[in-house]
Amino acid sequence: MEIHRYEKLWFGAALVLIVGFIATVVYGAAGVGISMVDDDGGTIDPNNVTDHPKFEQTGLHEAEGDDADYEASVIARRFIFQGADPLEVPENSVITFYITSPDVVHGFKIVDTNANTMVIPGQVTEMTVEFDEPGEYGILCSEFCGAGHENMAGQLTVVPEEEWGGLGGDS
Amino acid sequence: MSQASEPADPEVEMEREIEHDEFDPIGTLVLIAIYFLIISALWIFMYFIEFLGRPTPMVV
Repeated sequence: MEIHRYEKLWFGAALVLIVGFIATVVYGAAGVGISMVDDDGGTIDPNNVTDHPKFEQTGLHEAEGDDADYEASVIARRFIFQGADPLEVPENSVITFYITSPDVVHGFKIVDTNANTMVIPGQVTEMTVEFDEPGEYGILCSEFCGAGHENMAGQLTVVPEEEWGGLGGDS
Repeated sequence: MSQASEPADPEVEMEREIEHDEFDPIGTLVLIAIYFLIISALWIFMYFIEFLGRPTPMVV
């Protein structure tokens, strides 16, 4: 079969484009280190979430390991984000979120970022995000959870380092 | 333009016969090249600036 030279040309270009798409996604996963949220957070008794060491106190606290600067414990329940309304973190910090639900499936989406995950009763959702620049981000429930779903929102504020008053500080 | 399955229209005279490789749709080639450039630029903008430029869950 004779194939016209132009057809060979754009057949090759289409292949290069597809390989390029796959290469950029592989670079994102292997080079930049983008991760999917998985079940590493472990399980929890949904009837007694505050018995779990991560949820005795909600809100921001010092990270236990070296992987993150701070940990944020959030209990997503109908129809609030306990511990994330508001949540203040300093810029250039790495935050590991621990999120769980005592009632139904919720979502935890930090608007204008790529952080978006399901929150499942009985499961601790663990997600690490780095915040480089100061800004205000809304937090939304991204899974329909009942009659108050549309009002279920939180607030995350990334404050400049010079204004950061530390944990429990006044800014 | 006649197809092999249809009888040639006797009213239409063949003006010029060309070989397979003499067919030279340069305009189509340019259009597709522009299309590829637009797609590539949009992908780079979307992936590297819009997606990687925002706070993103990462492996620690």
